[in-house]
Amino acid sequence: MATPIDPMHQFLIKKIVELPTVTVPGLGALDLSITNSIAAMLLAATLIIVFYGFASAKAAVIPGRLQTVGELLYGLVDGLTSSIIGHDGKKYLPFVFTLFAFVLFCNLQGMLFGWTGNFLGFTATSQLAVTLTLGMLVILTVIAVGFAKNGLKFFKLFAPSGVPWPLYFLLVPIEIISFLIRPVTLALRLFGNMLGGHVVLKIFATFVSILLAMAPAYWLVGVLSLTSVVALTALEFMVAFLQAFVFAVLTCVYLNDVVHLDSH
Amino acid sequence: MATEPHGTVETTGAPAAHDSGGLPQLQFEHWGGQIVWLLLIFAVLFAVLSKVLLPRVSGAIETRGAKIAGDIADARRLKDEAEVQARAAAAEVAEARAKAQKTAADAKAVASAAATERQATEEAALAEKLAAAEARIQVARDEAMGHVRAVASETAGAIVQKLTGKAATAAELKASLV
Repeated sequence: MATPIDPMHQFLIKKIVELPTVTVPGLGALDLSITNSIAAMLLAATLIIVFYGFASAKAAVIPGRLQTVGELLYGLVDGLTSSIIGHDGKKYLPFVFTLFAFVLFCNLQGMLFGWTGNFLGFTATSQLAVTLTLGMLVILTVIAVGFAKNGLKFFKLFAPSGVPWPLYFLLVPIEIISFLIRPVTLALRLFGNMLGGHVVLKIFATFVSILLAMAPAYWLVGVLSLTSVVALTALEFMVAFLQAFVFAVLTCVYLNDVVHLDSH
Repeated sequence: MATEPHGTVETTGAPAAHDSGGLPQLQFEHWGGQIVWLLLIFAVLFAVLSKVLLPRVSGAIETRGAKIAGDIADARRLKDEAEVQARAAAAEVAEARAKAQKTAADAKAVASAAATERQATEEAALAEKLAAAEARIQVARDEAMGHVRAVASETAGAIVQKLTGKAATAAELKASLV
């Protein structure tokens, strides 16, 4: 309660469990203490495992509710990998699915448990460190798959065929930059959406309490503010799902680039 | 909301000191821990999902698909079988009907032949009787016609006797009747 409006307060990293600092040669000290962000990620992963543990426990021919939801999400990602990457898509399904589920659960956790005010409702995907790591994970996987599948022909990715050779002086740098910028855009898109949405929600919500504490003339504005909070909350739920989906789609697109390098 | 004096003071201290705040996300002292833990969590999650849970989910979906495909194939097979049987039954019915029709036609032919034969015999018998009767009638009429002269002669004799008082001779009567 130190400041009435501090929309950034929700993103502050707080230590929950102190763990010894590890010194990594060349990188310096590494504080491995469990913070609220890390606890939220642990919770998300645990929830995914528990959810899918229950959803796939019976593996019934006629699915129950939980199994239906589980298969729905699985089918969604399965549809993405098979429609974007094609026949080889099944191989990358676990990776894309893990990304999708992790991002989705992290996003939703912040929406669903935000009222608790502790790490349960902390949105780990609003941390640039987290989204950038996920983005790097994607692009490193893409590079690894690219080299494993095509060897040195992987570099053909930066030199599209069917172009007059003088254009390569222009095209190749552009292609390289656009490739290298992919993890950054992946990270910033997710980070920006989560950050922006949460900040706007917080600001509008604080407006409500401030305006209602003022003269009755301001109450109308307060009511308007409350209405927007309700509408924005619905929107944020959609964004939480959509950003996870977009992350999965783009991962598939990037993987497809290197899986089908010949038809590039 | 000071939960843990150590942690909160230490971490919230930084933006408060800067006054403008700045993004908490850009406090790089927290990056290392988050990255390492994220990679760890992601690796474990990936391993559990790809090795245990997702195969179970896809297994259930595949089992369902196979079951549905199998059921549809069964149904199709049964339908084909039923169609074959229906066709056989229809052929049998048609054959039976043809046989029945033939039997009926035969019976009818036999019956009608017998009837015609009987009718012919009856007709022959009737014709015979008729001919006999006609012959009898002819004889009777001829006979009757033969008596007519005698009756006339007798009558004429009786009339003459009554008128003249004396009987006419047979020769006179006979001559007068010609």
